[in-house]
Amino acid sequence: MHNFEINSSEIDKIEKISEKEKNFRIKNLEFFNTNGFPSKKLEDWKFSDFRDIVYKNFDQLDTKNTLADIKKINLLKDFDHNYILLVNGNLQSSNFDYEDKSKIRINSYKKDNINYETSQNPLVCLNNALAKEGYSLEIEKNYRLKKVVIIYNFFTKDLKNKILNKKNKITIKENSEIHIIDYTVNESKFKFINNICENVILEKNSKFKHIFIQDNRSNGYFYKFSKNKLLSNSNYTSFIFSSGLKFNKLDIECDLEGKNSECNVQSALFLNTNDHQEIKTRINHLAENCKSYQKVKSVLSSDSKGVYQGKIYVKNIAQKTNAYQLSQALLLSSDSEFDSKPELEIYADNVKCSHGSTSGSLDEDSLYYLMTRGLNRKESTKLLIKGFLDDVVQIIKSASIKKFIQDKLAKQIYGH
Amino acid sequence: MLEIKNLQVSINNKSILKGLNLSIKPGELHAIMGPNGSGKSTLANVLSGKGGYKISGKLNFEGKDLKEITIEERAKKGIFLAFQYPLEIPGVNTNIFLKTSLNSIRKARGEKEMDTLSFLKLLKEKSSELGIDENFLSRQLNVGFSGGEKKKNEILQMKILDPNFSILDETDSGLDIDALKVIANGVNSSRNKKKSFLVITHYQRLLNYIKPDFVHVLSDGKIVKSGCSELAEELEKTGYKKTN
Ligand SMILES: Nc1ncnc2c1ncn2[C@@H]1O[C@H](COP(=O)(O)OP(=O)(O)OP(=O)(O)O)[C@@H](O)[C@H]1O
Ligand SMILES: [Mg+2]
Repeated sequence: MHNFEINSSEIDKIEKISEKEKNFRIKNLEFFNTNGFPSKKLEDWKFSDFRDIVYKNFDQLDTKNTLADIKKINLLKDFDHNYILLVNGNLQSSNFDYEDKSKIRINSYKKDNINYETSQNPLVCLNNALAKEGYSLEIEKNYRLKKVVIIYNFFTKDLKNKILNKKNKITIKENSEIHIIDYTVNESKFKFINNICENVILEKNSKFKHIFIQDNRSNGYFYKFSKNKLLSNSNYTSFIFSSGLKFNKLDIECDLEGKNSECNVQSALFLNTNDHQEIKTRINHLAENCKSYQKVKSVLSSDSKGVYQGKIYVKNIAQKTNAYQLSQALLLSSDSEFDSKPELEIYADNVKCSHGSTSGSLDEDSLYYLMTRGLNRKESTKLLIKGFLDDVVQIIKSASIKKFIQDKLAKQIYGH
Repeated sequence: MLEIKNLQVSINNKSILKGLNLSIKPGELHAIMGPNGSGKSTLANVLSGKGGYKISGKLNFEGKDLKEITIEERAKKGIFLAFQYPLEIPGVNTNIFLKTSLNSIRKARGEKEMDTLSFLKLLKEKSSELGIDENFLSRQLNVGFSGGEKKKNEILQMKILDPNFSILDETDSGLDIDALKVIANGVNSSRNKKKSFLVITHYQRLLNYIKPDFVHVLSDGKIVKSGCSELAEELEKTGYKKTN
């Protein structure tokens, strides 16, 4: 029998901690120990029985921080960028040479990375109980970063049967703008769990653009809860291209708290054999005149599973809301699976809201057309897949970043 | 070049071609006319290798049994079909697609792959010959193209791939008179003693510009009448009823 109960002595080991923090951590740990890893009995996990996945793949899990230093990292040469280097979730170094450094503050985990919100999500509770590393990034008022920031998420070879719990926080002050690429490089050939909670605060008139992408296929089991708070006129955009993990769930919550704020989540995913990938969005329209847009495109090879759970909530005062959601899946094999669950909860009357979900196999007539031009079935299939995912990639404005993403996607699709 | 004998084709237990005979020699241009639903597009699809049909009879191309070879191998052997309804392929750039297509065919012919520069030169030459705006070529394949633009794009592909045997399935339908002339010129300038054509059309008008060596009437799955180009003029006056 598995026993993943975590001893409260783990919390006692945390130094310099207030009574409030300690109680918060203990409460969360109790919740986790009572409920265990989330199973499909929970509505939010009905398509991804994480408990089952953990039991099948792990006999033990070690929660200790894994410190490691990377001597040399191969920075991407595709475009100029600032960077933050995380090694196993710990902040190792950063470089903002392209920027006015007085406008940027980057630190390791700080006490205020905790937001003291209660959660019913066992993984978030586990993170609340144990996380004591991560990073905190703050952009001062009235500053637009000149170059994109790559966050190198580096995982070292020795990670094995580990569960990493990290908390990050990004604050973008008024009238500021930052573009981030979350780039995961995983050197571990072993199985481990990465459990991240990230808080993003977009102050008035600020802009945040986020791209998620993996460098390589790996045996990681990743969960990320990303909570985004949008104040008036702010703009959040997130592109998800990260696939190639054994398990990957991105849980994105956006609170549109200020008038005229906008959030936009788009993804283009190619799931290879045995991949399991879930995207969950919850968009809370809490103020007037806000826009939200979600488009999730997935291509699924044999024995892969994709899930999209998208909820749009519109509060009674959130008049003139404009919300749009679309999920499209292309199933390449009869044993691939895609589940989609759109949910609307609307309490305002002046609202424009639409959603749609389609899934199907490759169009035989299109394949035939391409093959009459001398391409074989495999080449034609790949061309159609690439074409299917391309409209999401095309939205990326920077030509060099677009090319970088296209190359990565092609590598996933063509497998070299 | 092409030898069809007693071709029987059915799909979903529906018999469509019922003993069709046709022989096309190098350098010849044959026109096929016939009522809607008589099996013209089916014949074109069977020649280019579309799946899903039950086929019997003799179907030889340059001495090889076509039934044995796949769609893309037929393309590589020089069979080209200009579709009656060209498909829209989202996210696939016309330009890049054409280059990929050309190079896979060149490779099969034992020719060197064409580099981007020479390809663009070829593309420019052929598209201006057909009056196709170069902007089209950087768009997604057929997506949002008008009916006539799609047809022109089919002929552009034919000109670039330079096949030995081209099947044009109602390429003239929906074309304005200028476009019709342009396309006819495109076909005529490709004609030589090695290349053959099978032109499916409903209108004698096209055959004023492209002179066929033979005209056939396909009706209810069979060729019921064959003749020279005067047959088309006759059909224009009398319709298909009398040929049955
Ligand atoms: N998949 C199919 N299943 C059943 N019947 C089919 C199928 N495909 C074609 N047919 C039928 O076969 C017949 C011949 O079709 P085809 O498209 O070859 O006609 P056509 O001569 O090209 O007509 P048109 O002049 O209208 O283009 C039609 O009656 C059509 O409905
Ligand atoms: Mg037809």
